Amino acid sequence: MAAALETVGLRKRFGGLLATNDVSLQVEKGEMRGLIGPNGAGKTTLVNLVTGVYAPDAGEVKLSGTSLTGRSMHEIARLGLVRSFQVTRLFGSMTVRENLITAYLARESHVHGAGATARADRMIDLTKLGHLSETQAKKLSGGQRALLQMACGFMVPGSCYVLDEPFAGINPVIKDTIIDMIVQVNREHGATFLVVSHEMSIIRRLCPKVTVMMEGKVAAHGTLDEVARLPEVIAGYLGKALE
Amino acid sequence: MFSTELVIQTAISGVMIGVLYALMALGITFIYSIMRMINWAMGEFYMIGSYLQYVLVAFLLGPDLWWLAIIVSTAGVFVFGLVVQWGLLKPIFKKPPEARDDYATVVTLALLLLLRSLATGLAGPNQFTPGSTLPIVMVGPLPVAGARLAAFVFALVALGLFWALLRYTWYGLALRATSQSRVGVQTAGIDVLAVDRIAFGIGVGLAGLAGALLAPVFLVFPTNGLITTVKGFEIVVIGGLGSIPGALIAGVLLGVVESFGAAFIDSAYQNIYGFVFVLLILVFRPHGLFGERGREA
Repeated sequence: MAAALETVGLRKRFGGLLATNDVSLQVEKGEMRGLIGPNGAGKTTLVNLVTGVYAPDAGEVKLSGTSLTGRSMHEIARLGLVRSFQVTRLFGSMTVRENLITAYLARESHVHGAGATARADRMIDLTKLGHLSETQAKKLSGGQRALLQMACGFMVPGSCYVLDEPFAGINPVIKDTIIDMIVQVNREHGATFLVVSHEMSIIRRLCPKVTVMMEGKVAAHGTLDEVARLPEVIAGYLGKALE
Repeated sequence: MFSTELVIQTAISGVMIGVLYALMALGITFIYSIMRMINWAMGEFYMIGSYLQYVLVAFLLGPDLWWLAIIVSTAGVFVFGLVVQWGLLKPIFKKPPEARDDYATVVTLALLLLLRSLATGLAGPNQFTPGSTLPIVMVGPLPVAGARLAAFVFALVALGLFWALLRYTWYGLALRATSQSRVGVQTAGIDVLAVDRIAFGIGVGLAGLAGALLAPVFLVFPTNGLITTVKGFEIVVIGGLGSIPGALIAGVLLGVVESFGAAFIDSAYQNIYGFVFVLLILVFRPHGLFGERGREA
C-alpha cells in the first residue's frame, strides 16, 4: 500500500541556499511522525513544498500514491492534505465562527449551510472558545489563534495533516487541548500527521518515530531516544544533547 | 444669504451624486482588497457601460425600457470583466507573487489605452446621450431630473445587493476571507483565482453600472470615464484603500463637499474642492478615514 505521504528527492534552492537537498521520506497511513531539526534545517521549506506553496526544483510529493506535482494549493487542500502555519493565517476581521464556517465550506462547498453550523458549534465546544465565538479573530491571543487555526483544520477531517510548530509560544492548557484534538482525529479518522516542533516532550508523547533534518537533508530517522544519541544529531544541535 | 432651503437642496444633490461616485470607488477598492492590485482601466469599464446603455436605449430597447438596459449593460460589463480576468490577469496571478501588482498596472494601463482607442475608432469622438423620458421629480424642496433620481435609486439598490452578497452568501464569505488572507483561503481549499474572477467582474460591473446610470447625465464619449475615475480614486484616498464602508461614506462626503463648494463658492471650480478635501485628509489622516495602516500579505 502506498504511504500516506511520501516525498521523493525533494530539492529547493533559494539563490545560493539549498534549503532542501534531496529529501525523501515516507509517512505511513495513521502514523504520527515528528519532524525535528535545528533552526534553518529546512523544515518549513519542506512543509511549503509538500503543501504546494513552493514548487520543488526537483523531486515530487505523493499523497496516498497520487502525485501532487503541478497542483495548486487549494487542490492539494481539497485532496485532504491540511496544514497549519507557524504564523497563523486566520481571517482577522471575521469572527471565530465565520473562520470555522469558511474552513468548512472551502472544502465542502457543495454542502450549504446546516452542516457547517453544526460542525462549527461542535468545534467551539471542543476548543472551549464559546465565549469568543462572535469575536474577531484578530482580537484573540496567540494561543487562541493557534487553537482556532487547528480547529479550522479539523472542521472537515483531512487524511493527512502537516503541522508547522503548532505548539510554539502557547500556554500549557491550550497545548493540551490541541494535543487532545490531534489524538482524537488520528484515532477516529486514521488521519496521518507530520508534526514540526521544537517541543521534545510533546514530540515524545505524540510521535513514536521522528525524522531529523539538518542543513536541508534528512540526517536521521528513528525513535526520539535513538536519534538523540547519534553524534551527528548532537553536533547539529551545536553540541547540545536533546533533552 | 444662506437660506435653509438652499442648504438642504445642496445637501440632497450632493448625497445623490456622491452615491454614484461611491459605486466607482467601491469597484476600485473592492478589486484592490481581493486582488491587491489597482485596476487603472476602471474608467474604461465605466465608458463601456455608458456606451452599452446608449446603444440599448437608442437602438434596441427604446427609452421606456431604460431600466432593463441598465441591467443588461451592467451584466455585459460584468461578463467582460470575467473575460479580462481570465485572459489577461489570471496568467499573472498564477505565477509567484513577485512584482505582480507591477505587471497588473502595466496590463490595465494598456487596456485603458486599447479600449479608449477602440471607442474612438468605432464610434468617433462624438458625444451621445441615450436621452430619458423620465419627468422631473421634486425631492423635498429640490427639483431633480428623473434620470438622476433613477440613477440614485438604482445605485442604492445595487449597494444593498452588494452588501447582502458579502454578508449572507457563501461567495460573500469566500470574498471576505480572501481579502483577509490570500494564502489562508488557498490552504483552506478555496480556488483563489476563481474568487479573483468573480471579484474583478463585480468590481468592474460596479463601474459599468455607474456608467450606464450616468450616461444621460454626463453624456457618452470615449474618455467619459476619466472624471469619474479621478473621483473614484479621490474617494478611495479619503475613505482608505481597501475599506468598503470607507468608500461609501467618503463617496457621499465628496459629493456633498463638491456640491456645497459649487453652490457657495464658485461652481467653476467644482472638481477642485474634492482635491482640497483629499489634501486635508492626507494631512490629518494619511491612511484615510477607515484605511488600515498595514496588512499582512
